[in-house]
Amino acid sequence: MQDVFVAGAGMTRVGRRSEPLPELMADAAHAALAEARLEAPEAIVVATMNPEEFVGDGNYASHVATQIGFADVPALRVETATSSGAAAFYAGFATVAAGLRASVLVVGGEKMTHLSTPRVSELIGRSIDPYERAYGATMPALAGLITRALMSRSGVSAREIAQVAVKNHAHAALNPLAHFQQPVTVQEVLESRMVADPLRLLHCCPISDGAAAVVLTAATTPVRVAGIGHGTDTLAVRHRRLLTAFTATRMAARAAYAMARFGPERVDVAEVHDAFTPFELISLEDLGLVPPGKAGRATLDGDTALDGRLPVNPSGGLKGRGHPLAATGLAQIVECTWQLTGRAHGRQVAGARRALAHSIGGLATNNWVTLLEAS
Amino acid sequence: MIPEEIAASRCPRCDMVVAPPATYCPHHPVLMTPASLPGVGEVVSFTTLHTPPAGFRSPLHIALIELDGGARFVCHGADVRGLKIGADVAIEAIDNIYYFSHLGALERARLFWRRAGRAGDRVNAIARSLAKRVWKGKHRAAS
Repeated sequence: MQDVFVAGAGMTRVGRRSEPLPELMADAAHAALAEARLEAPEAIVVATMNPEEFVGDGNYASHVATQIGFADVPALRVETATSSGAAAFYAGFATVAAGLRASVLVVGGEKMTHLSTPRVSELIGRSIDPYERAYGATMPALAGLITRALMSRSGVSAREIAQVAVKNHAHAALNPLAHFQQPVTVQEVLESRMVADPLRLLHCCPISDGAAAVVLTAATTPVRVAGIGHGTDTLAVRHRRLLTAFTATRMAARAAYAMARFGPERVDVAEVHDAFTPFELISLEDLGLVPPGKAGRATLDGDTALDGRLPVNPSGGLKGRGHPLAATGLAQIVECTWQLTGRAHGRQVAGARRALAHSIGGLATNNWVTLLEAS
Repeated sequence: MIPEEIAASRCPRCDMVVAPPATYCPHHPVLMTPASLPGVGEVVSFTTLHTPPAGFRSPLHIALIELDGGARFVCHGADVRGLKIGADVAIEAIDNIYYFSHLGALERARLFWRRAGRAGDRVNAIARSLAKRVWKGKHRAAS
C-alpha cells in the first residue's frame, strides 16, 4: 500500500451563507488546490448528504466538477449520511493508496439554512430507521433517549453535558471560520429551551452552510494519513444491545489504530463528532481517549480544553464550528491538518504530532476514525 | 388491561428477536422465522419531543421498551410523569399505533395471573420478578 499525504486543506466560513452550494464547494476546493500547488487533481471525490432535497440538484459529482472547472476530471460522489465527508476522504485515500491516482481532490459541503428547522430535521431524519421514524423519531429524539439512558445508567451529570457546550463554544470563539463566535455559560445551557428531554437547544449543534476540501497525494508532504477505520451498526436503534456507547465508533477506532500502529495514548489533539454534546462524552470513551466512565469528569476538570492534557474539538466541534453535514468530516480533517502544521492560529495545540478525527453517520450507523501524523 | 401480542421474528442462527418482524436478521444473511411476544416489558429509555415532526402533536412521548422475550420496541406513551428507566409497562395498540402504559402493582399481579397457568408457576413467576427487581437495583451499570 502506497503512503498517502495531505497536500492541501481548505474550508469556507461555516454559518448562514448566501452563496449557492457549488460556489461554497469551489471556494474550499480551490483553497486546498492552491495550497497543494496543483492546478488540477487526477480525480475528484464529492461528498454531499442530500443535495437532491436540500438544494434540489442531483448528479452532484458532475455538477460540482463542472462548476469548479474540472469537467474533464473523473468525479464520483460518496454518501454515508452525516459522515459523508469522512467517507469521501476514505475513498480518496484508498484511490491514492492503491496507486490508481497520484492526486485526488476530496470536497464536501451542504447548504441547509434556507430551509425551516422542522424541514431540515425531517431531511436529516431520513437517515433513521423507517419504523422508528413513523413514531416521530428524529435525530434529537434518539439522542434524547440515549442521553437519558447515559445519565441514568452511567451517572453522567447535566453539568458535565453542559460543560461540553461551554468548552466547544469557547474554542469556536477563537476560530474565525466557526458558526458561533460567542461563548456560552453552563447556566445558559441549562436554561435553554428543551428540545428532546433531557436534551436542550444548547446541547445540539446548529444548522449550518459550508464546505471543506483536502488534496491527497502520493508525493510526501508534512502530513501523512496514518490510519483510517470504518465501523457500522444496525440502522434501527432498537436492534442494539448497547445504547450508551457506539459500536460503530469502537469498530472504526480499532481498525484505525491497527493501521496506524499506534494507540489512543499517542493522540495529541482530536476532533470528535459532538452533534449532541453527550456524544462527545460517549465518543471520548469509545475512542479510548479517556478511560471508561471518566469523560464527564475529564471535561469538568478541563482535560479536554485547549490548554488541557488532550484538547478535543479545538475548532469548536460540530457544536461551535457548525455542522454542514457532508462538509463536517472534511472540516475536522482540515482542522487536524492545520494543527499538525502549526497553522491553527489563535487555537494552536503546541507541538501536536498526531491528530484524530471522528465522524458519526446517521445515528451512529456508519462511523469513521481518521488518524493523521506529522511526517 | 389485556396486553397485546406483538408480532416479531427470530433469527434461526443467533436467536435475535426483532419487532416488528423483519425478513432478514440484521446480523446474518438468513431468513427470520415468525414469532410473537407478549406486550409487556420494561422501559430502557424515553424522551419527550417539544417540537415534533409534521403530523405529530406536542409534546410527543417516545419510549424504547425491552419486551419480555428480548426484542426492544419503540412506541408512544400518553404520559411520562413519574416514569423511570426500568419501570414495567404494558403495550397496547390503538389504530395500529403502539402505546405503553405504566403498570401498577395490581395490574402486574393480574398479568402474572394471566401469563402463568398453574399455581406453582404463578408463585415462581412472581418470585422471579422480585429477584429480577432486586438484581436490577444492584447492577445498574450495563446498558
